[in-house]
Amino acid sequence: MEPLVQMKNITKRFPGVVALDRINFDVQPGEVHVLLGENGAGKSTLMKVLSGAYTPDDGTILLNGKEHKQLTPHLSAEGGISIIYQELSVVNWLTIQENIFMGRLPSKKIGPIAVVDYKSMSESTEKLLAQVNLITRKPTTSVGDLSISEKQMVEIAKAVAFNAKVIVMDEPTSSLTEEEVQKLFAIIRQLKAEGKGIVFISHKLSEIQEIGDRITIMKDGGYVGTFPVKDLTTDDMVRMMVGREIKSNYQHLPEENYQFGEVMFYCRNLTRKDGKVKDVSFDLRKGEILGFSGLVGAGRSETMCAIYGAAPKSSGEIWLEGEKLSIQNPYQALRQGIGLVTENRRETGFFKNFSNGRNIALARQLKASSFNGMWGLTNRREEVKIAEEQRQKIQIKCTSLNQMTAQLSGGNQQKVILGKWMAAGVKLLIFDEPTKGIDVGTKSEIYKLMRSLADAGIGVIVVSSEMPELLGLCDRIAVMADGRIIETYEVAEATEEKLAKAATGAIA
Amino acid sequence: MKTIEKKKFTFSDYWDRYSTITILALMIIVFGVLRPTSFLTPANLVKIMEQSSITILLGLGEFFAILLGGIDLSVSSIMALSGAMTAQLMVNQGMHPFLAVLLGVIVFGAFIGVINGVLVTATGLPPFIITLGTQAILRSLVYIVTDARAVSGLPASFSKTIGGKLFGVIPVPIIVALVTAALLTFLTVKCQSGRNLYALGGNSQSAWYAGIPVKKHIILAFAISGVCAALAGMVNVARLAAAEPNAGTGYETYAIEAVIIGGASFFGGVGKVPKVIIGGLIIGVINNGLNMVGVSSYYQQLAMGCLLILAVTLDRFFGASRKNS
Repeated sequence: MEPLVQMKNITKRFPGVVALDRINFDVQPGEVHVLLGENGAGKSTLMKVLSGAYTPDDGTILLNGKEHKQLTPHLSAEGGISIIYQELSVVNWLTIQENIFMGRLPSKKIGPIAVVDYKSMSESTEKLLAQVNLITRKPTTSVGDLSISEKQMVEIAKAVAFNAKVIVMDEPTSSLTEEEVQKLFAIIRQLKAEGKGIVFISHKLSEIQEIGDRITIMKDGGYVGTFPVKDLTTDDMVRMMVGREIKSNYQHLPEENYQFGEVMFYCRNLTRKDGKVKDVSFDLRKGEILGFSGLVGAGRSETMCAIYGAAPKSSGEIWLEGEKLSIQNPYQALRQGIGLVTENRRETGFFKNFSNGRNIALARQLKASSFNGMWGLTNRREEVKIAEEQRQKIQIKCTSLNQMTAQLSGGNQQKVILGKWMAAGVKLLIFDEPTKGIDVGTKSEIYKLMRSLADAGIGVIVVSSEMPELLGLCDRIAVMADGRIIETYEVAEATEEKLAKAATGAIA
Repeated sequence: MKTIEKKKFTFSDYWDRYSTITILALMIIVFGVLRPTSFLTPANLVKIMEQSSITILLGLGEFFAILLGGIDLSVSSIMALSGAMTAQLMVNQGMHPFLAVLLGVIVFGAFIGVINGVLVTATGLPPFIITLGTQAILRSLVYIVTDARAVSGLPASFSKTIGGKLFGVIPVPIIVALVTAALLTFLTVKCQSGRNLYALGGNSQSAWYAGIPVKKHIILAFAISGVCAALAGMVNVARLAAAEPNAGTGYETYAIEAVIIGGASFFGGVGKVPKVIIGGLIIGVINNGLNMVGVSSYYQQLAMGCLLILAVTLDRFFGASRKNS
């Protein structure tokens, strides 16, 4: 069959870097072609060449039966290529129909004046929404009112409306719940059946196996190969992408005869004023990693925010190392040895106007200062010492401590945040989705760090929507639904099925 | 991606660090060449600094509001109110000048600044709106307390001290501005609360999650702005030997210009206190220099406007903001 698009020997150089080195990539009609690689492997660069945003230095692109040296955004769109970025590009204050027909609103003539034809626009939008299974929403709904999953459907509908033949989805599942992922996959299968080609970029190997037909693996800008997905195991994929074996389990092995210590942290009957957390009680032993599973909105992050003092609680007790804590705000949590690695690094994690050194040293300096962190001096030499120590300890890859944290990869940004808390000397560290958007290699480093923290006697709590992550990392997993803990499993007895059942209330 | 380390000092690096001082130097050179005998005299340069001291003081306060990604439009009114109140305390109540100045700075500077900050944190409204409101309210208060008449007949000890010269050489307003700038530089560079203000300006959400008391720091920033504006008020009254009810009208734009030309980001989190001094001096040099060259004062605003846009545009393409985006 004639491929929808074929990229041959694409090479792209940036000053000092070969971002793409003779990459081959093609999309056949009716297939899901997975693009896999670590962060920085060159996937985004390749897609930017495909969208016409970048001009390749070498290689050819066959589109619409014509060979091109380079594409322009216009050529790319005309050739039926449509890209749905991870940061969705819908406009929140416009309606669904306006988003879909942005830039080419249908018009009609009233006398000599052309006006927008809202009737035909809303009719075609309704048809498109039916195609992506978004029938509960009206074309005139404001996009700002939609969930992330629904916004994604609007983007797909837009691509369909544009008559796209190849739809590129860049990490489409990173912010979706399990159920929403299944909805998305149903749409993808339907698009396949209509003969469209899908390029699927994701770090989640189980999803790749579920939805992918062929897979192209990239490493450090180089081309590793293209294979049928069913011929590869997840271990194969990881090995080819990372270039080494990656451990999938971070618990202590049974033969080590590891013994957990006493309960070092517990919380009793924690309830939040806004009702998002109800009567939550749990224990954490020394050396143990406790996971929290559940659907988005089940109250996991909300529980952690309440413990950390970032959201008001109405009742409940928190005990850390034999002392009852009173925490009204994050500053008091910091002072008493509790840290929170938040879910959104960019929005709530680090400071984009701060260098690595400053970001790392901040929590320790704040903790050392008095009068609510308002009074105290900062010492430049001490700051460098604190930061350098963490940089070496957790191997943060940065050009210098003076480099801005915003310029690092997601994984290294996460390490900076981790370093910040370790430097502050936390006794309990809570992780909310710690590996979101982080590549496999760095993920495993972060898991190892978390395990070494637990072994060092620091309490570790992990909230995650990725069940394989919890099963590979945690010693016990609590499942939450509707603001309560439904069930707690030892990892040995936990399975994805059990967790999912508890989360959806099937065994409540 | 593999990266190859390259250490090259580019124009961008230079501009990032020395843009404001370069602009100032260039302007001094240009005016110096055009009017070597009148512009480049020590007496004139001291005069420029003295004339700029009010802009610099207002700019120093404004810097903190802008550092948080906000703005303080009320500085001009605070300046007028604190000046008028201090003058009245001295003239009508016969209060000792030292006590009157202290009261003027603390009550009509810091306290009004705190009110600005509390209003911003309590309502959650943008500082632009709150301070636009307090600007009008405070200006109205000035007219009410002074009956829209200038307060004159100030004690000579007051005008001679603050409006005078140290050792008969250095005008006191310059010293007030420089000492204030030095203290605030220390706050931003060395103190934890200064560090927190930068963090807060960079990302208020991250700041809250990092344990920084967000509201207290917002109030602190506006309090500093108020104190600086009140100091500007004292200097203004002393120089004129009278408190004019419409003193400082429109000066908030000079303050904002000084901060922005000084390289602070209007989006918050980026900027340096000492550069505000240079920003203020640039404004002073333009006004003084154009006068010397004989350009009509009608053109001075035009020159200011062009310079502002040019400086920020250059910063956009060569400065630090380019790297962070």
